[in-house]
Amino acid sequence: MKKTTIVLKNEIITLLSRPSFWLVTLGIPIMAWLVFGLVGRLNQNSSASSILSNIFSGPAELRPEGYVDLAGLIKTIPQSIPAGTLVQFADETSARNAVVRGSIVAFYVVPKDYLKSGQLIYVRSDFNPLASGGGQSALFQRVLRINMLGGNLLLASLVNGPLKVQEVSLAPTAAQSLDNTNPLSFLLPYGVTLLFYFLIMGSSSLLLSNVSKEKETRVMETLLTSLTPTQLLTGKIIGLGLVGLLQTILWLGTGYALMNLSGKVFTLPFQFHLPISIIIWGIVFFILGYAVYASLMAGLGALAPNLREASQVTFVIMLPLIIPLFFSSSVFVTDPNGPIATTLSIFPLSAPVAMMARLASGGVPWWQPPLVALLLAVTAVFIVRAVASMFRAQALLSGQPIKIKSYLQALLGR
Amino acid sequence: MNKTWQVALHEYQRHVLTRRFLFGLFSVPFFMVILVGLIFLIISMNNNTTPLGYVDRSGLLAHPLPAPQVKLPDKPTPFRAFSDEATARQALQAGEIQGYYVIPADYLAAGRLQVVFTKAIKSVPRQQFYHFLEINLLANVESSISTRLIAGDEIIARSLDGSREMSSRNGWFGLFLPIIAAIGFIIAMFTSGGYLMQAVVEEKENRTMEVILTSISPNQFMTGKIFADICIGLTQIFAWLVFIIVGIRIASSSISFLQGIQVSPQLLILFVVILMPTFVMVSAFMALIGATVSEAREGQQMISLVSLPIWIPYMLIGLIIGNPNSPVAVTLSMLPLTSSLTMLIRQGVTILPAWQIALSSIISVVGAVFAIWLAGRAFRLGMLRYGKRLTWREIFSRRGGTA
Repeated sequence: MKKTTIVLKNEIITLLSRPSFWLVTLGIPIMAWLVFGLVGRLNQNSSASSILSNIFSGPAELRPEGYVDLAGLIKTIPQSIPAGTLVQFADETSARNAVVRGSIVAFYVVPKDYLKSGQLIYVRSDFNPLASGGGQSALFQRVLRINMLGGNLLLASLVNGPLKVQEVSLAPTAAQSLDNTNPLSFLLPYGVTLLFYFLIMGSSSLLLSNVSKEKETRVMETLLTSLTPTQLLTGKIIGLGLVGLLQTILWLGTGYALMNLSGKVFTLPFQFHLPISIIIWGIVFFILGYAVYASLMAGLGALAPNLREASQVTFVIMLPLIIPLFFSSSVFVTDPNGPIATTLSIFPLSAPVAMMARLASGGVPWWQPPLVALLLAVTAVFIVRAVASMFRAQALLSGQPIKIKSYLQALLGR
Repeated sequence: MNKTWQVALHEYQRHVLTRRFLFGLFSVPFFMVILVGLIFLIISMNNNTTPLGYVDRSGLLAHPLPAPQVKLPDKPTPFRAFSDEATARQALQAGEIQGYYVIPADYLAAGRLQVVFTKAIKSVPRQQFYHFLEINLLANVESSISTRLIAGDEIIARSLDGSREMSSRNGWFGLFLPIIAAIGFIIAMFTSGGYLMQAVVEEKENRTMEVILTSISPNQFMTGKIFADICIGLTQIFAWLVFIIVGIRIASSSISFLQGIQVSPQLLILFVVILMPTFVMVSAFMALIGATVSEAREGQQMISLVSLPIWIPYMLIGLIIGNPNSPVAVTLSMLPLTSSLTMLIRQGVTILPAWQIALSSIISVVGAVFAIWLAGRAFRLGMLRYGKRLTWREIFSRRGGTA
């Protein structure tokens, strides 16, 4: 036990004395605060934001657009559209000249056979059909539609769907549904998934590089003369885990504080305030996920002769964590309690990341996180024991090349 | 010159014929297939073919016209009329319908709907119901107009001089083609660059380099390596192109938006005058990193110094597409490294002035020459040092030139 503590202390001290560690640990929250402060300031200060938008998007273009109506469909421009936004031209040549003169920025041509072909031609000097503020083509299409329907404004809108839909949910548990129109509701589960992926991957690959480096430089040989492989493994896992936990708490705390502050600065709806329970579950899932992946990585480090060969196998090990990332911007937002999200969050190897994404989306039944945590804990115990048996002096000292197959065999104790 | 070729040939064979290279070659199309499959899976998850009910109090759907045909991969959702809300609610609770819409008597005046569900209605059935409403709203409108409104418009964007034209029918897919191509190019650039760096570090570490340099000059050696690196990258790109062309041939019969793909000559020019110099520059930087560091692992960290600027335009992609001629976009397309992706993004959405292409190309070429010079210098200085990193100050100091 005493020797384990020595290993543990040594790992923590070595890690904490590395400048690059502090750069990442403190750099990310500081960056987040800076960006947050800047955006908040810009929201209040319009002159600064206009200078910025000038740099990023060029001088604002408020010049009108023109149209040439060869089909004779447009009779009137509705009053809701500001005067001068759409200018009529008799033919294409005069519209073209107006663009060259700069009095309009672009023009539409409604061909004679428009009703048959449905083609509208949009002529623009810089061609860009996706220019910002390109909502104008929707505006023109609306004008056209209103005129085709004999000036009936309401009918022209209703053709696109109802103006307003009142949603009534009869669901037994009032699942908290996020507002789909707000970009933050997409960003939140996505951000949490990404954060957990990086946290678990970052801290467990520390273990891989640590073990394989000591193996490569033969420090391991010296160490193993005075302590058992299991003591070494335990000391390393706990030591690096504590540091990783510190990072997790720091990052999650920053995220939590920023999310709650943002409610004040950006006046977000109340649902966005993350519940405090997410931090507690975050810590639980980090510890368990870390235990699983760090042991897997340590086992890899023990078997691989050097870091370069080990990193080829890393991908296979990390795959269960990467899969939830694929879905993070889709399934976990649109259907956080659907079959795919639930399966991913229950399967132990993908659970640490997937469960956190679901918790951030909200509406997870109360009994699921404890159940998943229990499953994950059982898995962690098995994997730690399997890896401990891999940590034999023989394996640690050999220089045999690593293959995925041999790794899996060793894990299964063959 | 002969020796340069020998180095290049050796380097090329050593990397291309390995299992790792072939794995990289095949994994990209493999992952693309998986990704496309995932996208289809996600789209199909938005389907729900359980009937959708409605209670019509406005008389709009008294004698409904059938809902319009549904295009694949969407599946049609049947609609069921209910005379009153109570029966609809019963059906919902019995699980016969996924939800129901209530159309109030004043719908045509106020445009408000109510929807009742136990689980939110997915976007595909919701959109189908709106189309169903639309077709019935337009029942009394002249048929030529109603067909037009239901079918929707096709916007054809055209530049003022008529040199570029693109249709909205494919969801502006053509605009993103150059971006996808550029990203593939950059990935190939970095994988082959990574090989180069590793080769240099390895040969330095195991002292092979000392032996080689007894019979060849450092400059010949460096040139050979960089040349081989570019060939490896191009091999990779060529192989991917073959995959993509075969894929398009197979898929174009079933996926309509792939049919209209055309590669403009300007795109090819950009590849030659901007992406190729950038490639040379990145290779030289990789060799430079290999010569500077003492371990391959350290080199990995330093690669991010080169890859970060390359990917900056990707992070700003929305901004550049929205405002392709803004000061930021123009500046990024002039700076070496960032220019490659920025130019390709802008090429899709706007007409690039010739002077910008020329200037950006010249800057890239100058950058590439400078990078090669720097790499050669670092190479001469760092060659005989083991376990000690070369500092930037040493590379740039004048004394080092004669060493």
